[in-house]
Amino acid sequence: MLISRRSLLAAGLAAPMLSSRALAAPETLKLRDLYEKGGSFSDLARASEGQRLTIEGFMAPPLVAEAPFFVLTKMPMATCPFCEPGIEWPDTILPVYTRRTVEVIPFNVPILARGVLEMGEYTDPETGFWSVIRLREATYERD
Amino acid sequence: MKSILTASLLALTAAGAVSAQDLPQASSQWYTDGQDLLASMLEKQDNTGRALNVILFVADGNGVASNYMSRLWAGQQAGGLGDDHVQPHEAFPELALVKTYNINAQTPDSAPTAGAMNTGVKQRFNLINLGEDAIHGDCATEAGNELTLFSEMMTEAGKSVGAVTTARLTHATPAAVYAKTANRNWEDSVPEECTDSRDIATQMIDAMKAGTLDIALGGGARYFVPEGTETPNGGKGHRPDGVNLIEEAKAEGIQYAADKAQLAALDLSQPVLGMWTDSHASYEADRPETEPSLADMVETAISKLSMNENGFYLEVEAGRVDHANHGTNAKRAMIDGKAFADAIALADEMTDDADTLIIVTADHEHAIAMNGYCGRGTPIDGLCYDVAKEGIMHSDELVTAADGKPYTVVGYLNGASSVLMEQADGTYAAPDGRPELTQEEAQDIDYTQQVLIPASSESHSGVDVALYAKGPWAHLFDGTVEQNYIFHVMNHAVNAE
Repeated sequence: MLISRRSLLAAGLAAPMLSSRALAAPETLKLRDLYEKGGSFSDLARASEGQRLTIEGFMAPPLVAEAPFFVLTKMPMATCPFCEPGIEWPDTILPVYTRRTVEVIPFNVPILARGVLEMGEYTDPETGFWSVIRLREATYERD
Repeated sequence: MKSILTASLLALTAAGAVSAQDLPQASSQWYTDGQDLLASMLEKQDNTGRALNVILFVADGNGVASNYMSRLWAGQQAGGLGDDHVQPHEAFPELALVKTYNINAQTPDSAPTAGAMNTGVKQRFNLINLGEDAIHGDCATEAGNELTLFSEMMTEAGKSVGAVTTARLTHATPAAVYAKTANRNWEDSVPEECTDSRDIATQMIDAMKAGTLDIALGGGARYFVPEGTETPNGGKGHRPDGVNLIEEAKAEGIQYAADKAQLAALDLSQPVLGMWTDSHASYEADRPETEPSLADMVETAISKLSMNENGFYLEVEAGRVDHANHGTNAKRAMIDGKAFADAIALADEMTDDADTLIIVTADHEHAIAMNGYCGRGTPIDGLCYDVAKEGIMHSDELVTAADGKPYTVVGYLNGASSVLMEQADGTYAAPDGRPELTQEEAQDIDYTQQVLIPASSESHSGVDVALYAKGPWAHLFDGTVEQNYIFHVMNHAVNAE
C-alpha cells in the first residue's frame, strides 16, 4: 500500500517536471556555454548578444530585497563571494535583470532564467554590482 | 575458540609451504598476486641514507575517502573498473595514518595543518606558523610566537626551496612554507593598527628576496598588484597599500611568468615567480592550454631546484580538490585528484629514490562519504548500480533508496546542495522529497551532490588522512601519527649521518 502510494506520488510529481523540461530543452543553455576555458566569451555567447536565451542554474540569495535583479549561479551558492566590484569576473554566475520584482526562490532549487543577453561592462547604480555579461528583460521559473 | 584457531594455524604451519600449493584457491590470480606482493615485501630494505631532497605533496582536503574517489576516477578513465587501479603514491612502500586536528579545533583548518608539517608543532585554528600562545586576528601576539620554518632551516643548510600550488600562492598551504601570521586571511593587507605585521604576499616576496624561497608557482596575482593597476593576467589588482610587489620582485632579478609559454622561456638559474591567474589557478577540468598544469609546475620546479647540488625542499599543493569538495562538486575534485597523481608520478620519475624523500599526504579530510552497495565498475562520478549475481560488472539496475529514487556513489554530509530547501517561513524542509536524478545529470561536470545539512559551504572533517612515502627514512612513517611528526621525519632524513 505504501509502495503504491509512493509510486503514485512520484508519477504525479514527475509529470509536470518532464513537461517543463521538454518545453525548455531545445533552447536551454548552461552557464558554461557562454564561456571558453580561461574565461573568455564563447562564440555562442558573442553570436547570441541581443537575443533572448533560456539559461538554467540557481538563484543566489538576493543582494537587496524587493529588486528586479538576482544572480544566476551554475551551482547552488548560499552566498555570492564574487559579488563585489573589481574582482576578476567569474564564469560561474550571471546577473539577471528581471521584468518584475524578484520573488526569491531558495538558492538550491534549480531554475530557468529567460532574457536578452547583454555584454559589456556595467555597474548597477542601485546595487553597485559590476558585471561584464547579463540577462535583461528576464523572466524565470522553477526548472 | 582461540585454542581451536591456534591449533588450526599450527596444523597449517606444520604442513608447510607444500600444502599451500594444494589450497583450492592457490591458482586464483588473487592468491598469486598476494604471494607476489608478499615476496616483494620480504625483500623490502629500509633506506637509511641522508636525504638530499625532500618533496612534500599535499592535496588539500584529500583524505582517505577523497583519495578513494580519485583512484576510481583515474582507473575508470583508463578503461578499468577503477577499484583495482593503483595511483602512483599508492605504490609507495611506506604508509601511515595522520591525525589532523589543531590545538583548539577537532575539525582542522588548512593553515595550522600545513604549519604543523612545516614547523614540527601543532598550531591554532586560522593561524600560520605561530606558537600556541598566539591568538587568531591579534597581531600583537605575533611577536615572540614566530616559529622557525623547515624552509628556513633548509636554506641555512644550503638547499633551495620551492612552493607550488593550484590555489593562490598566498593561500594557507603554500603560505605555510614561508609566512608567519595571526590570520590566514591577511593575504594582501593587515589591520591598520598592525604596523609591525606584514601581509602574506609581502612576506612571500620578502622570502624570495632573502633567498629562503627560490621558486613559487601558482595563482593569486591580484594580491601582489595595487588597486587600480592591471595584473599581468589582465585583471584588477587588490592591494590597498599601492605597492606593486611583482614589479619589486622583477627589480630584484626575480624572473616572472604569467602563463605557460612565459614559464618555459625563463632563466631557471634565477629565482622564479609565476602566477597564471588573479585568484586560484583553474580547476583541471577548466584549465586553458595557456595555463600550466600541476605536473607542468612540478617539472619546472624540480628542474630549477635540482640545479643546487646541495639539494632542495619542495612543497606541492593540489589546492582545488578542497575547493571542489567545499562546493560538493565531486567530479571536479576527482579530476583534480587525477592531476595530483600525475604530478606525483612525474616527480618520482625526475628524482632518485636513493636520495629523495617523497611524502604524499593531505592536510585534512572533508565531510564526504561513499554510498553503497554498488557493483564493480559503477561510475564513481555517477549513480550507484546494483551488484550482479554473476560475473564481475555491476547489474543494469540502479540501486534505489527507500523513497524509490536512485542516488550517487559520492555524498557529502553538509553543503549548499542540501536536499532541504528554505521555505517561505524560513524553515528548511523537503516537501517533495529528494530531487529526481538521472545518470546524465549526475555525471555533469557542474553537478553538486545531494547532501543533508544545509550550509553555505561544505565543511572539513577531523577524520584521519593517509600518508604515503618513499626514499630515505620513509620507513619512519608507520602506524597512526600526529601531523606535526611529518616535519620530524623530514628533518631527520636531511640530517642523518
